Formats: sequence, structure tokens, C-alpha cells
Amino acid sequence: MPQQPSPSSRSKRKITVAAVEDFPPGTRMEVQVGRAVIAVFNIDGEYYALYGRCPHQSAPLSRGRLQGTVICNAETGWETEWAYDGEVLVCPGHGMEYHLKSGKAFGYTFKLRTYEVVVEEGQVKLVM
Amino acid sequence: MATDAQSVKVQKVEPSFNPVQDEDLDQYSDELAEYTIVDVDVHVDDTLMFMLDYMEGHFRKRLETILQVDFKGEPGNSLRNMIAHIAWLGSSYDKPPRAKLASKQELLKRMEKGIIDYSILFPSELLPIGYLPEPKWAAALATAYNEYMVDAYQNLAGIKIAIVVAPQYPERAAEEIDHHAGHPDIVSVCIPDVGVNPPIGDQKYWPIFEAAARHSLPICFHGIEALIHDNYPLRVAHFPTLMQVNSMGFPFTSMLQIMSVVCAGIPVRFPNLKFAVLEAGLTWMPFIMYRLDAAYLRYRTELPALEKKPSDYIRAWHIGSHELEALPGRGDLVKLIELYQGQNTTMWASDWPHLERDLIAGFMRYDMDENLRRKILGENALRFFGLPPQK
Repeated sequence: MPQQPSPSSRSKRKITVAAVEDFPPGTRMEVQVGRAVIAVFNIDGEYYALYGRCPHQSAPLSRGRLQGTVICNAETGWETEWAYDGEVLVCPGHGMEYHLKSGKAFGYTFKLRTYEVVVEEGQVKLVM
Repeated sequence: MATDAQSVKVQKVEPSFNPVQDEDLDQYSDELAEYTIVDVDVHVDDTLMFMLDYMEGHFRKRLETILQVDFKGEPGNSLRNMIAHIAWLGSSYDKPPRAKLASKQELLKRMEKGIIDYSILFPSELLPIGYLPEPKWAAALATAYNEYMVDAYQNLAGIKIAIVVAPQYPERAAEEIDHHAGHPDIVSVCIPDVGVNPPIGDQKYWPIFEAAARHSLPICFHGIEALIHDNYPLRVAHFPTLMQVNSMGFPFTSMLQIMSVVCAGIPVRFPNLKFAVLEAGLTWMPFIMYRLDAAYLRYRTELPALEKKPSDYIRAWHIGSHELEALPGRGDLVKLIELYQGQNTTMWASDWPHLERDLIAGFMRYDMDENLRRKILGENALRFFGLPPQK
């Protein structure tokens, strides 16, 4: 009987999200794969994908506004500063904030899962 | 890792500039279809402009003047926004915009989904009347609100109304209860409890309890962010940010009023009167019950009217689940409810459509047996408000 490949050795699936021309900068897509929901964003021609449900109460993160946020830490001399302008995804449920590029939740110790996005033959593809 | 067998669905989406509403009901529609669901804390647009037609004399003149005011772009028809703007100018620039109050059409659309069997309407803009300094002005607003709500929301399937009373004018409050109690869509008396001074167990308020008991109408205490009043708890002087006052104002008020009612012996004097607390979360319930029990051991003689220990009275209080605290473990909500023995008294509440409303996913994520879930989602509320089951 042939051996089943271990999960880590399986090749990841590439899921077509949209043609490049249908997914221009400033737009976003919600991709549902089985039960998982992924939010994919095009920011100035770069694609970012992260887990699409807020762990607080499951609001759809694909619909969050992108803006900046305030930070206050040793690097700012403990002064409050506006930062990450355009990179902060604000949950449309209750306002939790996530760094779009890393999935890190501002003010919390967890991060959302992020996914690789590639462009192949004019198609934007989610790798998972 | 995704497998080839999994279905894929892609849709283009737009950012939402208002908090998402109701999609959680769609998300859980199949699962929820089996349950009787009573949302015990729902708000509709009750801004002051709707009260105008129900005001008379100099109070009407006063309201006309207020409606011309503009506070930083917020029209003068919002009592809450006026107060909030005075207290915290621009403090929430980094959060989603304030949720709009729901119109009647939006409420009906939500009900037409067929998932929620009953929505119990509570005041929104009128919640600060508990700390308005003029008893007659507060009472006039309450009267106008109640008449407006009956006119606008009676005879609608699944819609029930809690009238509001101004606690600082107990005699008028009792008249208000007498006037509306016979209406089939009036199911509760709401006492806005923040800023009420002295606390609500004081003998001056007993006409309110007598009237509610006379008509077997349950009393619901509904909090609000403590804002600019001078009374306990937590005016602006104590808390410089809205986050602090919002998180502590509701439970501190609720604990104060529960303690006040129980220590005044009101449950003994009015044994059939039912009480509930809304919008204060749940986690403080074990604290107030057993903290009072501990002190009761030493100070029982101060409370000679009590026939049993405080927690034996408080256990009968019902409690709305909103704003549901984010407990870390999926089994933690059941543990908490076991601590305050609230299996038959905890009622699901959303606070829809306010910004801090709970999505039902926040409740469904907690593990519990079906019997308890059924009670919290609807059965406890059916019994508390005296509503017939719809399913």
C-alpha cells in the first residue's frame, strides 16, 4: 500500500482569486475555501491575504476600513504618534485593529494567519 | 492547508463605514432556526425630534429650541450625542463611526429574517434621563417617549416595548405605569439607573415598585455610559477616557442598584416583582452575590426585613447577556453561569444596533448543552416578559 504523504510534504493549493485587471489597487476580495474565509487586499499593487473572520465575534474582516492607528512605545519616547497609515485593518464589527501585512493585532498578543499571494499568468492566486 | 476537494467562492467586497449589522444572523441562520430567540435589548431611533409631537406647553417650547442646536455636526435631536460631545470631544477618531439608531424599517427587516421571535425595545436617547436634574423635564420626556413608542411600534409581530420612567419623579412614574400597563405590547418598565440619586432602593422610589407590582410588570434596569452627572458612579472626573467609563459604568451602577434594592428589602415587600439588569455584562454577578453574603454575616441586623441571605434574592434577578465579556475558554461561560446559578435567569441580548452590540457568534462560540442554550436564547425571556412561544 502506498504511503500517504505527510501534511508538510503536500504541495500547497493555489486558488485563483481574480484576473489582475479585475483586482486593481484599492480593492479587496473575500475568498471562501471550504469553511475558511480569507480576506485579500490589493494595496498599491501588492497583494496581502489574511484570515477573514475577527476572532472576537466573527465579523468579516474583508470589509474593514484601512487606516492608521496610534502607537506609544519606547521608540516614540512614550509619546503618542500616528503610524502605519493605510496599513491598519479595522474590524467592521467592534473596531479591533490588525496590521494588514503581518496579521498582528494591535494591543493584543496574537496575530491572524496570513497567506502568500502570487501572480501567475495574469491571475492573482492565493496559496494555502 | 486547502485540499482540492474544498469548494471555493470569491466575491468582491467594499469596506464598511458603519458597523456590520445582522450578517451574523444570516451566518447562523440554519443553526438558529431551531431555537426560540428573544433579543431582550433592542434600540430604535428615538431621537428627540420624535418626541416633539408629544410635548406640550413650555416643555414643547424648550424641545423646539433644543432641536435647533448643532453640536459639532450632531443635530440637537440627540441627547446622548450632545452630552458625549461635551464630555469627549473627538476621543474616538480611531474607531468605526458611531452606529446609527435603527429606523422602524430596519427593525422590521431584521425581524423578517424569521430568526428572532421577539425584540424587546428599550430607550436609547432617553437613557440619560435618570440623571437630568429637573424631575418634571425628565418625566415629560419619558411620557413623550412612551406615547411615541406605543404609536409607532404597537401591533407589530414580535415587537414588544418597555416603557421608560423618570425615577426622580416617582409619583409621575407610577402614573405612567398605570396608564400603559394594560397595553398588550408593553411588557416591562425600564428604569434608567445611571446617576439616580439616592440609589433606587430608597423609599422615595417605592411608588414605582408598587405600581409595577400592581400590574405584574417586570422592571428592567438599563445602564448608560456615566457621563456628566454629579452622582455615583463614575463621572468624567474619575475617568478620562470613554473606554474606562464604558466598561465600568454599567456594572458599577448595576451592583449599586441591586445592593440598594435588596438591602431596602424591596423583594420582601413586593415578592412578585421581577427584576432584570441589562447592558452590564455578566461576570460581576458572582461578586455582588457572594460579597453581600459575606458582609451579611456581620451586619444582618442592619437589614432586619430580609428573610434570607442577599444572594438568595439576587439569584432571582434576570440578566441580559450584553455586553458579553470575552472569556478565554469556550467552557467558561457555563462555569460563570454556574457560579451565579443563572441557568434560568440569563437572557440573550444584542443591544442592536448600537456600536457595542453583540454579534450572536460571540455567544454561539461558547460550549454548552442544548438545554441551556435554548433557555438563554429565548425560554428564560419568554417566561420573564410573559410572552407566548412562537415556535
